Amino acid sequence: MSTIVWNREGVVEDDRWATVEGESAFVSMDEALELAATGGREIGVLVEPADDPARLKPILDRLAIIALDFPAFNDGRAFSHAALLRDRLGYGGEIRGVGDVLLDQVPFMLRVGIDSVETAHEPTARRLTEMRLPGVDLHYQPAALKAEPTNTYSWRRRAAV
Amino acid sequence: MYRYDEFDRDFVSARVAQFRDQVERRLSGDISEDAFKPLRLMNGVYLQLHAYMLRVAIPYGTLSSKQMRMLAHIARKYDRGYGHFTTRQNIQYNWPKLGDIPDILEDLAGVEMHAIQTSGNCIRNVTADHFAGAAADEVADPRPYAEILRQWSSLHPEFSFLPRKFKIAVTAAENDRAAIQVHDIGLQLKKNDEGQIGFAVWIGGGQGRTPMIAKKIKDFLPEADLLSYVTAIMRVYNLHGRRDNKYKARIKILVHETGTEELAAQIEAEWAHLRDGELRLPDADVARITDYFAAPDLPARAEGWAELAAWKKADSGFASWVTQNVRPHRHPDYGMVTISLKPIGGIPGDASDAQMDAVADLAEQYSADEIRVTHEQNLVLPHVALADLEPLYRALQAEGLATANSGLVTDIIACPGLDYCALANARSIPVAQEISERFGDQARQEEIGDLKIKISGCINACGHHHVGHIGILGVEKKGAELYQITLGGSADENTSIGEIVGRGFEPEKVTDAIETIVSTYLSGRSGTDEAFIDYYRRVGAAPFKEALYGDKAEAA
Ligand code: SF4
Repeated sequence: MSTIVWNREGVVEDDRWATVEGESAFVSMDEALELAATGGREIGVLVEPADDPARLKPILDRLAIIALDFPAFNDGRAFSHAALLRDRLGYGGEIRGVGDVLLDQVPFMLRVGIDSVETAHEPTARRLTEMRLPGVDLHYQPAALKAEPTNTYSWRRRAAV
Repeated sequence: MYRYDEFDRDFVSARVAQFRDQVERRLSGDISEDAFKPLRLMNGVYLQLHAYMLRVAIPYGTLSSKQMRMLAHIARKYDRGYGHFTTRQNIQYNWPKLGDIPDILEDLAGVEMHAIQTSGNCIRNVTADHFAGAAADEVADPRPYAEILRQWSSLHPEFSFLPRKFKIAVTAAENDRAAIQVHDIGLQLKKNDEGQIGFAVWIGGGQGRTPMIAKKIKDFLPEADLLSYVTAIMRVYNLHGRRDNKYKARIKILVHETGTEELAAQIEAEWAHLRDGELRLPDADVARITDYFAAPDLPARAEGWAELAAWKKADSGFASWVTQNVRPHRHPDYGMVTISLKPIGGIPGDASDAQMDAVADLAEQYSADEIRVTHEQNLVLPHVALADLEPLYRALQAEGLATANSGLVTDIIACPGLDYCALANARSIPVAQEISERFGDQARQEEIGDLKIKISGCINACGHHHVGHIGILGVEKKGAELYQITLGGSADENTSIGEIVGRGFEPEKVTDAIETIVSTYLSGRSGTDEAFIDYYRRVGAAPFKEALYGDKAEAA
C-alpha cells in the first residue's frame, strides 16, 4: 500500500519527511530537545498523544516540521496539540498529521492548524488526490486556520476562499 | 423560539450532503464499518439489535407545532408509525433503513432540525429545564445559553474525537429540573449581587457503571466567559481524559482520579489563556439570541379561575389531571401542562404519528405553538390558559394522552432494554408495563404520592436507575434476567445515588418487590406530606430490607 503526503495544494511528491518503507524521519520530543542543544541538523519532531507540546517552546524556531501522531483515528488528542501549538505557542512552521489519518478527519485537522497529512489509507488517498474533501465550509467556532468572520454572531466563521 | 438564519440553513444542508457522501462511501466499501461508526454516530445513527436506529436532536427540548408534525411524518413514512422520546430530550426512530436516512435528515432540515451529535464521543445535544421560559421560579430563560452552546459545539474541530461522550445541561432555577448534577457539565444560571447573569459550573456528574454526583468548580462564571471556560474544560478533558478503558473515559473519572481542586486549577490555568480571546461573548450577540426566546404574548384570561374551579368540581378525573399534570405558570392565568406519555400499561415515551399530530394541533391552538420534551419522557404544553384546560383535557383524552400521573408511581422512565438495544442484559419495557398495570388505579397512585421509578436494561443506565427513588437495573446472572433494586436516588437539586437494597429479583417477582417497598413506605410514613424520598432519607434502607428479605437480609 502506498503512502501519500498531501497538503492543501495537492499531493506532495518526494517529501523530505515522508515515511519511506516504514522508516520515519521524525525524532521523539526528547531527542529533538537534545539535538537542538547540540547543533546543526534539521529537526522534524513527532509529538505523541501523551506528550506535552509546550516542552518544545524553547526550540520552536529550530524545528523544520512538527508531526502530530494519530495512533488511531478516534484518538483526538492531537487536535488539541495543534490548537495549542498554533494559538498558544505561536508556532508558524509546518504541522503534519500522521498515523491513522482518514478522510473525514482531514477537514478538522486543517481547521486546528495542521497543514499536511500523511496517509496510507487508499480511499482517503484517492479522495485527497482528487481534492474532494468532505468538510462543511461554515463553522460555528473560531479555530487556528484563518477563516472569515460573518456578519451574524461573533463565534461564527466562513472558510476563506 | 430560535429560528435558523441563512448560515444555519446552509450549515445543516452541507451537513446532510456530507452524510449522504459518507453513506455512499460506506455502501461502496470505501469506509470500513469501524471507521464509519463514529461518522454515523455523529449523525445519530446507531446499529441496534434488529435495525438501524436514528436519534434526532430536540435542542433543549423545545419544538414548534410544525416541527412536531414533521416528527409525525417521519414516523409514518420511514418507520412503523411511532417514535420514542428519550431521557435526553431526543426522539428515536427504531426502524429506519440506512439508505433512507439522508432523506430523513433532509426532511428534518426543512423544519430546522437535525441529528447532529446525538451520539458518538462528542458534545451531545444540550439539554435544559423543560419548563424554561414559563416557570415562575427561573432567574432567566436558560435556552439562549443552551442554543449558543449548541452552535459552538456543532462540528467542533478540536472536540469531535473526545475520550467519550459529553453531556451538558443548563438550568435556571434553584429547583433543578434538568438534572445538572448528573451531567458532564452542569450549568446553573444565576444572578450576582449586581444583577449580572452568570453560571455556577458543575463538572463530572454521570451515571453508567460508576455513578457520580457533579462537583461545583465555579460559583459564578460571568456570562461573557461561557464559551472560553467551557473550551478550557473540554481541552483539559480531551488531553487528559482516559482513553485506555472506555468505562473510565468519562470526565467524572478524570475528576475523581485527579481530584476536584487540582483539575479545577488546570482548567483555570487553561482558561486564563482563553478568557480574553475570540470566544468572549459580546453582549449584543447574547441579546440577539435571547430575543428569539422572548415570551409569547399571553393575554389576561382571568375568567379561567372560576371556570377551573367549577370544572374540577364537576369532574373528578379532570380534577386529578389538573392536580398532577398542571403546574403554575409565571402568568397567573396560565399553567404548564404535562402530557403524559405513560399510559397505564403502555410503553414509556412512545407516541404514535397520530398522537404527535394531535399534540401539534393542540399546541397551535392552546400553547402559543410551543411544545417541550422532558427528560422524563413526557411532553409539555408550556403556555396554556386556565380557561382552556377543560377543552384541552377533552382533546387529549380522545388521543389517549390524558393520563393523570405526572410524578406518580406509574410515570416510569425506562430505557429501550432488550426489546431493542444491543447492549441490554434484560428487558425494561415489560417490567415498566407490569408495574404500571399493578399501580394503575388513580386513587391508589395519588395515595402513594410522588414516587419516581426508573428502569435500565443494563449498567449503562440510560433509564437513569441510579437516580430513581426506586431504581431497577437489569443484570444477567447465569444466562437469566435478574433485576437489582436501588433505593433513595434523586436527580434534583439534592441529587443522590440510590443504594442497592439487596439481592436481585427474577422477572416475575419484581412487581411484587415494588409492591412490598411501597407498602413499607405507606405504613411507615409520618403522614401524607412525607414523600417516599423523604421517608427513605429519614429511616434509611433497614425497614425495606426487612420487608423484602426478612431475616435473610444481606447484600446480593
Ligand atoms: S441502559 Fe443498557 S439496555 Fe438500556 S438503552 Fe442503555 S445500553 Fe441499552
